[in-house]
Amino acid sequence: MKSTAVSRFTSFLFILPYLAAFCVFLLFPILYGVFISLHNFELLSTEHEFVGLANYIEIFTPGTYLSDIFFRGLWVTVQFVLYSVPLLIVVGLALAMLVNALPGKLRGLFRTFYFLPYALSASVMSVIWLMMFDTNAGFLNSLLMKLGIANVPWLTDTPWAWISLIITTLWWTIGFNMIIFINALNEVPEDYYEAASIDGANAWHKFTNITLPSIRPVMLFIMITSTIASFNIFAQPFLLTRGGPGDATKVLLINVLDQAFIRKEIGSASAMAIVMALLIIVISIVQFKLTSGRKGNA
Amino acid sequence: MAKQKKLLLVLLAIAVAIFFVLPLVWMLSTAFKNDFEALSGKMNFFPLKPTLDNFVQGINGDLMNVPIVRWIANSLSVGVIGTAVVLIIDSMAAYALARLHDLPLRRTMLSVFIASLMIPGVLTFLPMYMEFNALGLINTYAALILPATAGAFGVFLLYQFFASFPKEIEEAARIDGANKWQIYARILLPSAVSIMVTLAIFTFMGIYNDFVWPLYATTSPEMRTITAGIAMMATGSYTQSYGKLMAMTTIAALPVVLVFIIGQRSFVKAITQSAVK
Repeated sequence: MKSTAVSRFTSFLFILPYLAAFCVFLLFPILYGVFISLHNFELLSTEHEFVGLANYIEIFTPGTYLSDIFFRGLWVTVQFVLYSVPLLIVVGLALAMLVNALPGKLRGLFRTFYFLPYALSASVMSVIWLMMFDTNAGFLNSLLMKLGIANVPWLTDTPWAWISLIITTLWWTIGFNMIIFINALNEVPEDYYEAASIDGANAWHKFTNITLPSIRPVMLFIMITSTIASFNIFAQPFLLTRGGPGDATKVLLINVLDQAFIRKEIGSASAMAIVMALLIIVISIVQFKLTSGRKGNA
Repeated sequence: MAKQKKLLLVLLAIAVAIFFVLPLVWMLSTAFKNDFEALSGKMNFFPLKPTLDNFVQGINGDLMNVPIVRWIANSLSVGVIGTAVVLIIDSMAAYALARLHDLPLRRTMLSVFIASLMIPGVLTFLPMYMEFNALGLINTYAALILPATAGAFGVFLLYQFFASFPKEIEEAARIDGANKWQIYARILLPSAVSIMVTLAIFTFMGIYNDFVWPLYATTSPEMRTITAGIAMMATGSYTQSYGKLMAMTTIAALPVVLVFIIGQRSFVKAITQSAVK
């Protein structure tokens, strides 16, 4: 079919509304963020002095305030990634296998139970767990008291604060990984297992020799999405531990938003946000490259 | 032996289910207790003195002096309008990208949109705030709706669907004299109802559940969404009024849990599709 200028224009009209939204609320903010990060940009003043890369240089100059909050926040975030990601993968897979091993009629029911918390907003989830973890009146400590165990400072002491953040993260988000694993497990051809049974393989051998290799691509997908999600950790420490005790769970995103809205220095906060975003993008690209490389060898 | 194993598995599944469901049951139970009983540290799932006060006060606006009904109305309207806008503009864009091959820069735009899926929210959060601030749109419904329209997930999801739609039907319609708009509105959209429902559930839950952006993008109490409002309460001085807080979270969770349970099937489908790229 011949394409006239009019036809090209009408085709363009279809994409125009989304393209406009994309440019105004995604593309422009990215560029504007870079612009802001190159200035001494204070939230309440109208004069913004151009400072070039000074904000970035400060982040990477040891001993400065910016470097201090950036790298301390980053280290806390990395700790959370290291604690949470292995559990998000292993527990997600375990739940998927548990659901799949149940009698057919019960599968849907338990899948819904395990997935339900995923529907809640971060703030609803946090308020529920604030009450569960409350030192004096909380459900968990009341339960422990019945069992004759002393109060646990769930949110106010380490390592309990970390344990609480991990528990709530698993409770809230593990259903997502479980769903993807269930789907992957269902796609492993049944005759692989039958053939292995004839050869006398036990359950563990079937798991390591058939299940794991078959779901490897999905496993890597979950590794990437869970790592990115954990890097973006904010709601749980912001609402549950409030970064405490001390600064022990003050993750990078809390520091970025504090710098922007409490200290009102949007310029340096934007520089921090950009470095953090680049880190996340680099990590996802590296993981993606590693995984697509390995798939070829499998 | 096999029967015993099945029984053990079911018992294990029930034990795990208790971990997931118990906090929700406890929330529900606490919502019907007065503050005194909620703070007593007793583990009674059935309130000794069940009361509807927390809900009645909530609806009257007396609950901690916050306009909960207004917050819920804000969340629902922002969620519904945002979802409608996303469905319309994303389906039009996906149609153009998948079916209109004379679209200028078609391949480039497609790659840019797909690449944008990788961009973390932290990159746009602060400049978006400054942008809305400069436009005088902080504390408006526009600020709560517009940012959600830029995401490329829906375009990508619908693009995949439209790209695999059989050519012959479209050709036949064109020979009958249908123009692009008619092909989009009368042939492609009706065929995409189920995937549009999926996208609608996804988008609605995303907008309804977001709390960080609404927390900063609204400044007056009556403009808060319910999630931002609850976050304010949680970080404020209300944390000891568990009965009232739980009534509030119960109200907040209700719409989205309903949407989730009703739409679970298509929600699950969308998640698994996003994994199988």
